[in-house]
Amino acid sequence: MKSVVIAGYARSPFHLAHKGALARVRPDDLAAEVVRALVERSGLEPALIEDLIVGCAFPEAEQGFNVARLIGLIAGLPLSVGGMTVNRFCGSSMSGVHYAAGQIQLGAGEAFLCAGVESMSRVPMTGFNPMPNPALAARSPAYIAMGDTAENVAGKFGIDRAAQEAFAVASQQKAGAAQAAGKLKDEIVPIPTKGGLIEADGTLRPDTTAEALASLKPAFSAEGSVTAGTSSPLTDGASCVLVTSEDFARSHGLPIMARVVGVAISGCAPEIMGIGPVEASRKAMARAGIEPDQLDVVELNEAFASQAIACIEQLGLNPATVNIDGGAIAIGHPLGATGARIVGKAAQILQRDGGKYALATQCIGGGQGIATVLEAVR
Amino acid sequence: MSGAATISRVCVIGAGVMGAGIAAQVANAGVPVLLLDVVRDPADRSAVARGAVERMLKTDPAPFMSKAAARLVETGNIEDDLAKVADCDWIIEAIVERLDLKQALYAKIEDHRHEGAIVSSNTSSIPLDRLVEGRSEGFRRNFLITHFFNPPRYMRLIELVSGTGSDPAQVARIADFADRALGKSVVRAKDTPGFIANRIGTFWIQAAMNAAFDLGVSVEEADAIAGRPMGVPKTGVFGLADLVGIDLLPHLKASLLATLPEDDPYRAIARDEGLIGRMIADGFTGRKGKGGFYRLSADGQRRKEVLDLASGEYRAAAKAPSLPGKAGSGDLAALLALPGKAGAYAWAVLGPTLAYAASLVPAIADDIAAVDAAMKLGYNWKWGPFELIDRIGADRLAARLEGEGKAVPDLLRLAGGRTFWRVEGWKRQFLGLDGDYHDLVRPEGVLLLDDIKLAGAPVMKSGSAVLWDAGDGVLVLEFTGKMNALDGEVMALIGKAIPLVAARHKALVVYNEGSNFSAGANLGLALFALNIAAWGEVEKLVVAGQQAYKALKYAPFPVVSAPSGLALGGGCEILLHSDAIQAHAESYIGLVECGVGLVPGWGGCGEMIDRWRKNPAMPKGPMPAVSKVFETISTATVAKSAAEAKELGFLRPTDGVTMNRDRLLADAKARALQLAEGYVPPEPPQFRLPGPSGKAALMMAVEGFRARGLATPYDEVVAARLADVLTGGEADPVDVVSEEDMLGLEHRAFMALVRDPRSLARVEHMLETGKPLRN
Repeated sequence: MKSVVIAGYARSPFHLAHKGALARVRPDDLAAEVVRALVERSGLEPALIEDLIVGCAFPEAEQGFNVARLIGLIAGLPLSVGGMTVNRFCGSSMSGVHYAAGQIQLGAGEAFLCAGVESMSRVPMTGFNPMPNPALAARSPAYIAMGDTAENVAGKFGIDRAAQEAFAVASQQKAGAAQAAGKLKDEIVPIPTKGGLIEADGTLRPDTTAEALASLKPAFSAEGSVTAGTSSPLTDGASCVLVTSEDFARSHGLPIMARVVGVAISGCAPEIMGIGPVEASRKAMARAGIEPDQLDVVELNEAFASQAIACIEQLGLNPATVNIDGGAIAIGHPLGATGARIVGKAAQILQRDGGKYALATQCIGGGQGIATVLEAVR
Repeated sequence: MSGAATISRVCVIGAGVMGAGIAAQVANAGVPVLLLDVVRDPADRSAVARGAVERMLKTDPAPFMSKAAARLVETGNIEDDLAKVADCDWIIEAIVERLDLKQALYAKIEDHRHEGAIVSSNTSSIPLDRLVEGRSEGFRRNFLITHFFNPPRYMRLIELVSGTGSDPAQVARIADFADRALGKSVVRAKDTPGFIANRIGTFWIQAAMNAAFDLGVSVEEADAIAGRPMGVPKTGVFGLADLVGIDLLPHLKASLLATLPEDDPYRAIARDEGLIGRMIADGFTGRKGKGGFYRLSADGQRRKEVLDLASGEYRAAAKAPSLPGKAGSGDLAALLALPGKAGAYAWAVLGPTLAYAASLVPAIADDIAAVDAAMKLGYNWKWGPFELIDRIGADRLAARLEGEGKAVPDLLRLAGGRTFWRVEGWKRQFLGLDGDYHDLVRPEGVLLLDDIKLAGAPVMKSGSAVLWDAGDGVLVLEFTGKMNALDGEVMALIGKAIPLVAARHKALVVYNEGSNFSAGANLGLALFALNIAAWGEVEKLVVAGQQAYKALKYAPFPVVSAPSGLALGGGCEILLHSDAIQAHAESYIGLVECGVGLVPGWGGCGEMIDRWRKNPAMPKGPMPAVSKVFETISTATVAKSAAEAKELGFLRPTDGVTMNRDRLLADAKARALQLAEGYVPPEPPQFRLPGPSGKAALMMAVEGFRARGLATPYDEVVAARLADVLTGGEADPVDVVSEEDMLGLEHRAFMALVRDPRSLARVEHMLETGKPLRN
């Protein structure tokens, strides 16, 4: 087996959809800024890159037309670099990382840009023409709305509202502290807009209190426990990691952030999709030959507080290791871009704070989980 | 709008309720406006004006007609931004009623205003000559008083007062802008205290309140007598005081007492009622305070309570007394002749008020027409004081005044044996101070159906609609049923009108002068049919409406609809089938059928999809237009202005908006004649619709609303039927769905829903309470 490594990570600032500073930025332009900056920062000769893989959950309109190829052209990558858009909803760009790792193992390339993008301002979360299969819709919760799955998970695993709100407050505080300590700055690529250069996240609410959250109305069910405050916000953003073979990274002087030692996908029931990370993580850890207590760093996407808590409990994770710089409830969740962000973030923290193993995992609408296990390289 | 062209930027100084509201109305007219107020917070210097705009965005009824209008208001403060008035063609001062402050402000404005810029004050109490003391001749030439009424968007009156030095061309320029761009009716008033409306209105309120205390008439009795039967809004005087704020009354009184002539009759009736003073002191200032003459009980049941004028305590409101015979329906002679307290109270209000009004001409206005117009537009009276006198009889009024030893105004004697208003030579005429009758001259470009009706017989009529000849080859279709409701008679008349217009005329305008264009199909009639299970009758009406509206759409002549007020349900659908809509800015348009458990049945569904899919901003594919229309119709969304109706797709981008109600018919007629040149009827649309897949997507959204408690179980049933229609039923996206197919789908969905007892319950509830039943 070849050793595959994460050799670079960058992302755009994340901003709230519709009212945020990136609402008027095209998603292809947004992603191209991040890709261009990452290549530039890596110092890598661009012609050595095999392919640009872009994850996107709703690849239509400005995110359509195989947006990966267009992002490559906008970013000024050499014509020889390929472009492929992948869609596994929220797992899209993490799937891009898995694909790249597989291609490297196959000997089908040495260096891949694995990006993700979602402008939830400009392409709605159902796409412009949602047309579900009526027969499937009638007999299966295949198309269930995400908020409803969060309620289902809260109910099934007994996660009460107060627990969700405490989790959300913690996420906000961690993200606020990380931002204040300058820990988010290096990964962010400033984005030029008509309103000026956007250099920081616009999503964080570090002053959030449990009392304020307790006053919110349930967002999805009149009798429910999930609110806007315990859900990740609709977000605009893009992210990218550079995935190479370890040999390639060493010979080209790239920073080796972490090694990919296990990946997995696992399906689950659509109505409790938030629990998807549990089986996917177990499989990935088994493939890496580690146990949960060996994890020093976990990036577990916070689609909703209820599912994040349920996954932590089911996997027996140490909460202190989870989302050290804050999670999606605070930072935001631009669907297609989250996978690359949390892989990059897990690798970054492993390198920054020390430790041996990291896990990046997320749930996926329709009922799936995806997971990546990383190992420190020192 | 020729007026708008001459005023391209306005500044309003003073961001209180009036100033901010005036700024909003200027913005509603599409004219950029600078709103300034004082600096209260040194760190946030324009916070006062900005706060006023933010507050207005949350106010209901809304001062702004659209969010786009709000963006036309630039806010600032008097200290830093006064130089910006140099770019403004009209500077409106609406600060507190203090002469020294106003004069100081004018001095500063004089330094910055450009030559030719007009300055006006919204004062309601300070004489013009005092205001311009110390100002240059150039300033005086360009200064006048423009007195708006609150709220400025909704009240149609502006009293315009010019000074001896005012430049007539500049006065005309503002009058024209106020009329065409702001949609106001301009009444020229003289520079006297309270001008016209508040002079008479304050007297009337005082007389009505005094009489209630003196005669022992209860609050609810007083308002029941001095309200509707006199053509006054049902709030009467006590309800009106609650609405405008009881604390305002002493201010109005003080300002009038400070300036009125020594012998003015108001001085004799002005008095401080101890109870009212205590109410104000204790915060019972009306609707904005803890309560007023009326309040809703604080026990959570929100029952209506009234203040007992004798004890000063609240008690449950009694049912308003119903007046016998014609006394309750506008026959003032009968009202005044009522025995007991009712007749005495009516006289105590009307007698002195009408005598007072008659005594004030020509002191406050050049003619009686201005006085009647001011009270109708400024106080929403159905009849002005002189029209009220005509309804009593000038001689009868004079005789009764004389009999009681009261002064009889000269004007009443002048009218002796005659009326103040008459129709002669197919024209409205009023009695002049010279004792002769004069034609009521409408401003150029104003055409009223009321005037057309004086000039001749209808072309054709049915029980619920009439066809009038508006000249130049244009016929007008008027609805005449209650609330202008639509029924088989309307459809039948449309059927007969089409061949007539095609043969002998150029165009048809659908228009009326009711307060509402049409509240839709006649629900009362429908309920009757449903209660006796007369499905055949209901079905006949569905088909008749579909056929009539399609016949209008494909007629060989243009049809222009000109709504004002509510245009709901079937009243909206007739707009949708017109070649063009010329809407009054205050049009409230919506397809509200779902609220009564139905779906649009007269072609509204297809017309709305056709509008949205032609919108260039819509994404491609079978769903976007369908989703948009589904959202609007399933939630029974009603546009709160013509501007909002454009945003919701009821109006096309090419449809026109008229700000001044009185200019609506003329604008619609002009549009119709313009369309008549080389007119070609439209081609029927062909739809590509998503079919069952689209319905599945829409119903997922509805289920989400259900889960959140925002939709009821029966909402879901109705929404499913609506989704069936809008997605084309069993349509496949590769097939073409015709307009006929869409009508068939509407027909089936409508007939399925009317047979459901839950729809019947909704219809009944709406008729009984005027509110939707959430079953």
